[in-house]
Amino acid sequence: MKGDIVGFCCNYTANVPAEVLKEAGLVPETLRIRRLPCTGKLEVAAIMDALADGAEGVFVAGCRVDECHNLTGSQRASKRVAYAKEMLKELDLDPGRVEMIFVPRGEAGPIIQAAREMKTRIAGMDDAMTRALESEGAEQSK
Amino acid sequence: MIIAERKPLNEILGMLSGVRKLLVLGCRGCVAVCSAGGDKEVGLMAAAIRLGRKLSGEPIEIHEDTLVRQCDPEYLEPLAEKGGDYDAVLSLACGVGINFIADRCPGVRVLPGVNTSFYGANLSSGEWKEMCAGCGACVLHLTGGLCPVARCAKSLSNGPCGGSQGGRCEIDPSVPCIWQQIHDRLKALNQEERLREIMPVRDWTTAGHGGPRRRLREDLLP
Repeated sequence: MKGDIVGFCCNYTANVPAEVLKEAGLVPETLRIRRLPCTGKLEVAAIMDALADGAEGVFVAGCRVDECHNLTGSQRASKRVAYAKEMLKELDLDPGRVEMIFVPRGEAGPIIQAAREMKTRIAGMDDAMTRALESEGAEQSK
Repeated sequence: MIIAERKPLNEILGMLSGVRKLLVLGCRGCVAVCSAGGDKEVGLMAAAIRLGRKLSGEPIEIHEDTLVRQCDPEYLEPLAEKGGDYDAVLSLACGVGINFIADRCPGVRVLPGVNTSFYGANLSSGEWKEMCAGCGACVLHLTGGLCPVARCAKSLSNGPCGGSQGGRCEIDPSVPCIWQQIHDRLKALNQEERLREIMPVRDWTTAGHGGPRRRLREDLLP
């Protein structure tokens, strides 16, 4: 789906299902939440796979650094997000397509805000993905 | 161990121009330990290539595999048989593995996914440092176990150069002068006298300057 956003969220930060948030009109319809036991479990390959599978933006929501359930899980995730950003640059992609956010436990507000911000952010980008999508759109309209 | 690092993705995508069926091949030896070419890195490389090729509108079929080692013939046998089914094999092994595939698997187009960097030690997670140059004429018994060939910017044999200042190397002040460290270490071991032994001019043929090196052990030959 055009404008797909994937949010990798840890079990402790995303306790409201995405469907509920969508039904309430709080997040974009294109948001897909992928829950992890801990964001420290997230591999860079999963971020790249999400983008290759059609996501235009990815955010990772982990516990606040000082209250991570698994102590250093969200810090590990943050380093992997930084590495993913470097790989995106090598592919001529805007590194802002991937973002790490630190969220207080059990609060849906920051997740909603991250999803909205990512939607706005990707709409204003001009990189290899934007060009690929434009060329795909032009092919389809022929 | 041999330390390697991933090549930039744009360089890899350039090599793969025209390739439609690819095998990304890792190695569970040194490159797995230094997080450059093990199972995990194979998965990441495949995902990145898939994304890169999607962006350029050229889909690619990617298979993933990791061998126990790419520098022993027995592990390459399946590749010699089936490797020709791929347009290319992107090896994440060190240069030894890639050369060995090229020698042993004539029908396989093998490409390097990593740059082979040096022989090093793992200082901590994510940090490696060169410790040996593989020069073939070890002098560590004279230097308190610290290698001036690998760890001196000028590979000096008989003490520091005039640029050593405050125990730091003039080439890069963040690097300690290895000759200062050799001195300090031998002193601590009460072996300062070792420093009076003059090392003769080195014969660099053992370091590969005499062409590719080879070693034979009759007792192990088949």
